[in-house]
Amino acid sequence: MNAIEIKNLTKNFGEKQALKGLNMTVPQGSIYGFIGENGSGKSTTEKIICGLIHPSGGSVKLYGKDYTDENVRAKMGVLIESPGCFPNMTVWNNLMLQAENLSIKNPENEIRKMLKLVRMEGAAGNKYKNCSLGMKQRIGIAMALLGNPTLLVLDEPINGLDADGMRIMREVLIDVAKNGATVLVSSHILGELEKIATHYGIVRGGKMIAEMTAEELENSCRTFVKIGVSKKEIAKAVLCRKYYRVEEDENEYIRVYDDTTPEEIVTYLYGEGIVINEISTDKIGLEEYYIDLMKGKGV
Amino acid sequence: MEKSFEKNSFIKRTTSMLKVDFRRMFLSKFFYILLGISFVVPILILVMTTMMDGTVSVNPQTGKETIMQGFDYVWQILGSVSTAEQGGMDLVSMCNINMMYFAISALVCVFVCDDFRSGYAKNLFTVRAKKSDYVISKTLVCFVGGACMILAFILGSLIGGGVSKLSFEMIGFNLFNLICSIISKVFLVSIFVSIFLMMSVISKQKSWLAICLSLGVGMFLFMMISLVSPLDANPMHVILSGAGGILFAVGMGAISNLILRKTSLV
Repeated sequence: MNAIEIKNLTKNFGEKQALKGLNMTVPQGSIYGFIGENGSGKSTTEKIICGLIHPSGGSVKLYGKDYTDENVRAKMGVLIESPGCFPNMTVWNNLMLQAENLSIKNPENEIRKMLKLVRMEGAAGNKYKNCSLGMKQRIGIAMALLGNPTLLVLDEPINGLDADGMRIMREVLIDVAKNGATVLVSSHILGELEKIATHYGIVRGGKMIAEMTAEELENSCRTFVKIGVSKKEIAKAVLCRKYYRVEEDENEYIRVYDDTTPEEIVTYLYGEGIVINEISTDKIGLEEYYIDLMKGKGV
Repeated sequence: MEKSFEKNSFIKRTTSMLKVDFRRMFLSKFFYILLGISFVVPILILVMTTMMDGTVSVNPQTGKETIMQGFDYVWQILGSVSTAEQGGMDLVSMCNINMMYFAISALVCVFVCDDFRSGYAKNLFTVRAKKSDYVISKTLVCFVGGACMILAFILGSLIGGGVSKLSFEMIGFNLFNLICSIISKVFLVSIFVSIFLMMSVISKQKSWLAICLSLGVGMFLFMMISLVSPLDANPMHVILSGAGGILFAVGMGAISNLILRKTSLV
């Protein structure tokens, strides 16, 4: 069964059409990386899933039931845009409110556990408004995790987190998914997303343009031969004579995307009198895949 | 494999929502500030009007003399007997417990709009498909808060009366009538709370707009307070205000629920 199944979802804000028949399938127990440019409709989709805004058309099912089903919704954890906390209340009281909202038995223990998980034990007595951006984000994550949710919806949860915060986040989300929960996470930090996501959905202009598993992404990502040479310009010109797609990357390496091997390139360049310092094969990451997809390049 | 979800009963949902709202209200400084104001205002009114009672002011242009008329007895600050002339614009008619119903608008509007402004509404409504839990809980909690303000005003009036040495004599009514009047006034809070709640869910984050709308709409019902809860009130007044309170709470609550269901919550 799928945790989230969206069919032909549309949403209009006056004249503007934010979602144009979006389809989406999030398998149960997956960590679904939801990717897209600003204004592509990610947050709108997440808000609809959470019942915060109403769709103009289409259907949204959560665990096979309509998204308005109160029993399914009671087991959701959410962090959309910013944590919903009262600024003048302490971190502890904000979490206590959410614990009561979720009817958690023994809320004190649960809150202590969550604060420990996000390394915020020492800040429980701080007023929320006095917390830094990273701390606020950690509180939002702790709040979303309260009550052992079955479905977690996180919109840009890594924003403002330091390296340690990102590592904690990774560990927590992998752990949550291992225990059977489903995580829908959108982020612009694709490198981080790549480390945890089991599934991906790429949205553009209110439509889903690609949905795949991590394995499918791995298989569809182009391999290339990375070459380090001293006479880069000459080497590039020589390579362009034989190979169709030759590019330079930001680290001053030459990349050959054609179906070839390092041995073949070494032989070819040696024959042309060019000495190679370094050569290896590599694959493009999620970030490059995404950029290529957005540029309309073949991936 | 189909995932099973625990069924959330109405009682469980409403109880948890009430716990959230009561915790929020009793942790809020704003609530205690309003309670303090409700307590201090009648003391100030009674002390100052007693000090100024009988003072003659002369208009320098016309030479006309005006004598300041204060309260004759303490209970006048809680209302008037039904035989008295209603709706006058004098000090006694204006500076009384009726003002508190307007102060309650600030309590309700800030309390409700803060949910939307802070973003806490996202946490609430994600796990609550039924908006009626929210409306019921907010109505009940704000009713309790508003009733506390009315009672603080009455307590302040008794202390203010004692300080200003005003008479506690009951003219045209007895203690039973007074108790009926106070109960009626408390019941009337639910009418105002349900209206203010509706204005707040319309305004969402904008508490200033909610307060303006509430004051505007509340103005129409302002005169009703003296009529429904006079000092010589009897059980009929209590039943009338109680029934009115319930009807308004249910009717306005249903509209608030509909607004929450049909509009965006962020």
